[in-house]
Amino acid sequence: MTPLFWRALLRYPLRRPWQLGLAILGIALGVAVVVAVDLANASARRSFALAMERISGQATHRLVGDAQGIPEAWYVQMRVERGFRPSAPVVTGYLPNADRPGQLLQILGIDPFAERPFRHPAADLTGGNFDLRALLVNPDAALLPEALGEQITLKRGEQRLTLKRAGTLRGPELDGLIITDLSTAQTLLGMAGHLSHVDLILPDGAAGERQAEELRARLPPELRLERPAQRNQTIADLSASFSLNLTAMSLLALVVGMFLIYNAITFSVVQRRSLLGLLRALGVSRRELFIGVLGEALLLGLAGTLLGSLLGLWLGSGLVHLVTRTINDLYYVLSVREFFIDPWSLAKGATLGVCATLAAAWLPAREAADAPPGAVLSRAHLESRWQSSLPCFLLAGLALLGTGGLVLTFSQSLAAGFTGLFLLILGCALLTPPIVVGLVRLNQPLTARWGLLARMANRDVARHLSRTGIAVAALMVAFSATVGVGVMVDSFRGGVAIWINDLLNADLYVAPAAIENGGNRSEALHPAALAVLRDTLGIAGVSTYRASSVDLDGRPVILIAVDLAPASQAGYRLIAGTPDAAWRAFQTGEALLISEPLAYRRGLTVGDGLELPTDQGVRRFTIAGVFLDYGSEHGRILLHRAGYERYWHNPTVGSAAAFAAPGEDLAALRERLQERLGPVQALLIRSNRDIQSRTLEIFDRTFTITQVLRVLAILVAVVGVLSALLALQLERAREFATLRAMGMTAWEVGGLVSLQTGFMGAAAGLLAIPTGLLLASVLVFVINRRAFGWSLPFEVNPLLLLETVALAIFAALLAGLYPIWRMARARPAEALRME
Amino acid sequence: MHNSSAFIQIRRLARRYIEGEQQRNIFADLDLDIERGAFIALLGPSGCGKSTLLNLLSGIDLPDAGQIYIDGCSLTGMNERERTRFRRRHIGFVFQFFNLIPTLTVEENLLLPLELNGLTTLDQRNRALELLDNVGLGDRRNSFPERLSGGEQQRLAIARALVHSPWLLLADEPTGNLDAATGERILELLLKLHRQAGTTIVMVTHSQEVAARADRILVLNNGDIREMNR
Repeated sequence: MTPLFWRALLRYPLRRPWQLGLAILGIALGVAVVVAVDLANASARRSFALAMERISGQATHRLVGDAQGIPEAWYVQMRVERGFRPSAPVVTGYLPNADRPGQLLQILGIDPFAERPFRHPAADLTGGNFDLRALLVNPDAALLPEALGEQITLKRGEQRLTLKRAGTLRGPELDGLIITDLSTAQTLLGMAGHLSHVDLILPDGAAGERQAEELRARLPPELRLERPAQRNQTIADLSASFSLNLTAMSLLALVVGMFLIYNAITFSVVQRRSLLGLLRALGVSRRELFIGVLGEALLLGLAGTLLGSLLGLWLGSGLVHLVTRTINDLYYVLSVREFFIDPWSLAKGATLGVCATLAAAWLPAREAADAPPGAVLSRAHLESRWQSSLPCFLLAGLALLGTGGLVLTFSQSLAAGFTGLFLLILGCALLTPPIVVGLVRLNQPLTARWGLLARMANRDVARHLSRTGIAVAALMVAFSATVGVGVMVDSFRGGVAIWINDLLNADLYVAPAAIENGGNRSEALHPAALAVLRDTLGIAGVSTYRASSVDLDGRPVILIAVDLAPASQAGYRLIAGTPDAAWRAFQTGEALLISEPLAYRRGLTVGDGLELPTDQGVRRFTIAGVFLDYGSEHGRILLHRAGYERYWHNPTVGSAAAFAAPGEDLAALRERLQERLGPVQALLIRSNRDIQSRTLEIFDRTFTITQVLRVLAILVAVVGVLSALLALQLERAREFATLRAMGMTAWEVGGLVSLQTGFMGAAAGLLAIPTGLLLASVLVFVINRRAFGWSLPFEVNPLLLLETVALAIFAALLAGLYPIWRMARARPAEALRME
Repeated sequence: MHNSSAFIQIRRLARRYIEGEQQRNIFADLDLDIERGAFIALLGPSGCGKSTLLNLLSGIDLPDAGQIYIDGCSLTGMNERERTRFRRRHIGFVFQFFNLIPTLTVEENLLLPLELNGLTTLDQRNRALELLDNVGLGDRRNSFPERLSGGEQQRLAIARALVHSPWLLLADEPTGNLDAATGERILELLLKLHRQAGTTIVMVTHSQEVAARADRILVLNNGDIREMNR
């Protein structure tokens, strides 16, 4: 291939900077969204790994206790009396920065003398670059990260606790970490006499196994020996489905991006058919032409990918905050919030961008190569080929829809769920051109009344189907994604609102203040406080709760020991089991109620047994019912307090719900409780409305990232439609010039363009509704079920649908503005001279 | 050539193009009068400005200097909107490459100028269809332009240019893209319609034979316009 051949080919796009720019922007946006989400996910994963590493360090094993932790005395006994030296005690928890709302700091309390072999940041704790004496002796001394000042004030309940710098922690992995002496951490976190866990270093191989066995044999029942790596993996798995959901959303943006690339490349080929035919006539071979068009696409793809990667980096640094915030709200605290640039994420984005461009350019390149030498295939010819292909589109679309349906019906995995979803989207996209033609026909009688202009605008959409079909399909896919995700979020929110409203039907909720502020979550309600609560005038009933974590095959599940007032019982909606029988069995303390996600994940139903590790060894409980629950995707187990006290040693109550007597003034009751409970314990008393609104607030925060991705998908589509319509209208410059020469004013031609783009927007918006609802039903009934295990109601907000159609029309009208502006300025003579 | 009662009066008309850093004068100080009902053939070498002159006469291009009057109305004194309205009502255009609207049927292409002028009564519509019969396309009313031969397309273009009974018909090489026999038939048609309606026609052509059928032959060369004597 000669340089002149390349010049002939490449000068064309270079002379149309607007079209070139939009095509590159389309690719760039697609790549940017994928890169950004991937970088944000990778950053969150890396933050998690760092946070875990700084806690686990070199430990091979870890001793953990129940929610209260490990009694310190037991550790001393193990280390001093039994001489188990390679062990280090740890007290850890999270406290909020009193001066920066929203910032949680991780407290790591250690014993500097036992610490040496365990953790990197503490490895040189015996060194001279900090004041060891101060750390050991002063109750307010701490090693603080560089970013914090000379002192920091933390909040625990209503208490404010100030720590002073005794040394500096350097490095991103130590961001958000505060190291103190063991006793300081115990005071800070309210864990006097207890440790969070004890780290151990056991030798590799058989010797280590033997030691572990010996240790296990001597452990009291409430303590367990586990490997930190396994535990970390389990916790990391918690958020895997969340990451998968985000990735799927970003891929959707890329699918829309691919439509755009296909559109841009096809268009540049179609526009140059005469040039390509001429080149063939001059002796350029099919292969050369094919490579030429593909090479040009590759250049476009590279430019778009480069721009997209830069955009993705920028976008990702913003998204990472949303991702970590969601993870903090839902899964675990991530105090490291560094934005890591993972080369893998960039490589993935680049590969996707270039491959998507080449895949999208493949067909147009073949079409260009197959054109007979010298032939100038007219647009009319191309359009009639599209028209005759309509039945194929219809069949292929239906086939894809059918395959997608089969995949969804006969599969179980989440990945298969997403595959089915993408097949459905693709099927709907293929059905778009035939449906657009149908809509044009339907529209004909209506436009006939509006005059020739409307008739032309309407018919043009079908007559230029090779352009308009793809543009409408791209816009439709993007907007259907917004409908789908929007309906899913609405449904979810509606479900959660009803659930929380049913569940929190008590009037007031009482919990230790520390729970609210990130302190020791196992802090209990004093029995004296509970007694005062029960005895307070105006209280008609009290329910008590105690949440702890139990391991089911290595996965933490929340076990809630409850003593429910009859009204509280009514708040649980049983979806399996007859209520009367279920609650009767439950009262015995030998039967459990389990949440829907747990039942779904483990395939459990009423009558099945479930083995739980109790303080008296593993015990089998019968499942009496399954309740609707959005509290945890990993499942919750409800056990009557009587049963809990029978098999567990910890009789404490974590929180309580109080029902006011009929006619009682709630504000007065709350005040009275505050007054009476104040001297006994620092407690938070909140109304059900408080908790409900807080829950929904967290819910909305969780879905911020979903909304951001939704907006990005729309943006990609708008750019795509902009380029497609722009190209279409610019291509028709001569036709418009003819109309102008015949006496049509620039405004009238502008009206024609607006009518046409408006019609395309309306078609895309209207088609996006059924497709979006289909998408939503898959997201609600298949994807959410498989990812999280819960069933959601299906709620459609008509406003969302109206908004979609309006936005689609607006986007399309926006796309028509530039061609209209250009036409208004252009002299028709110039366009006619182009003949 | 100066006649103050002439139907078209062109005075000191100038049009330049900028090519790179150079300025090219298509014509400067061009003066011309054309009588009502005349059939003018405009000859000249390629690039001499024949099409430019037609574009200026139709108001789709603007001169750099000078005046154009059509039936006493100053085309150059009108704003864009007025010029468009004037063109819509009083001028018909026939192009070398037909420039039919591909998304409209034969009948719709023909009716377009009428609709633009708001002339959509049944009577006017019937007259338009009569014109379609006149140009021999009565049986192709519902076809789209791409289904017509070159000659048929040009016949439709002529009918479209005349359907609203314009004062002036501007034709830019209407036979230039057709074979000799078809070109001859198109020319016959133009002459027939010209005689029937008395429309003033300015036709650009390269062909001496075609030009010979006109009332007057004007030759544009090097920015100057001259009448060719027969």
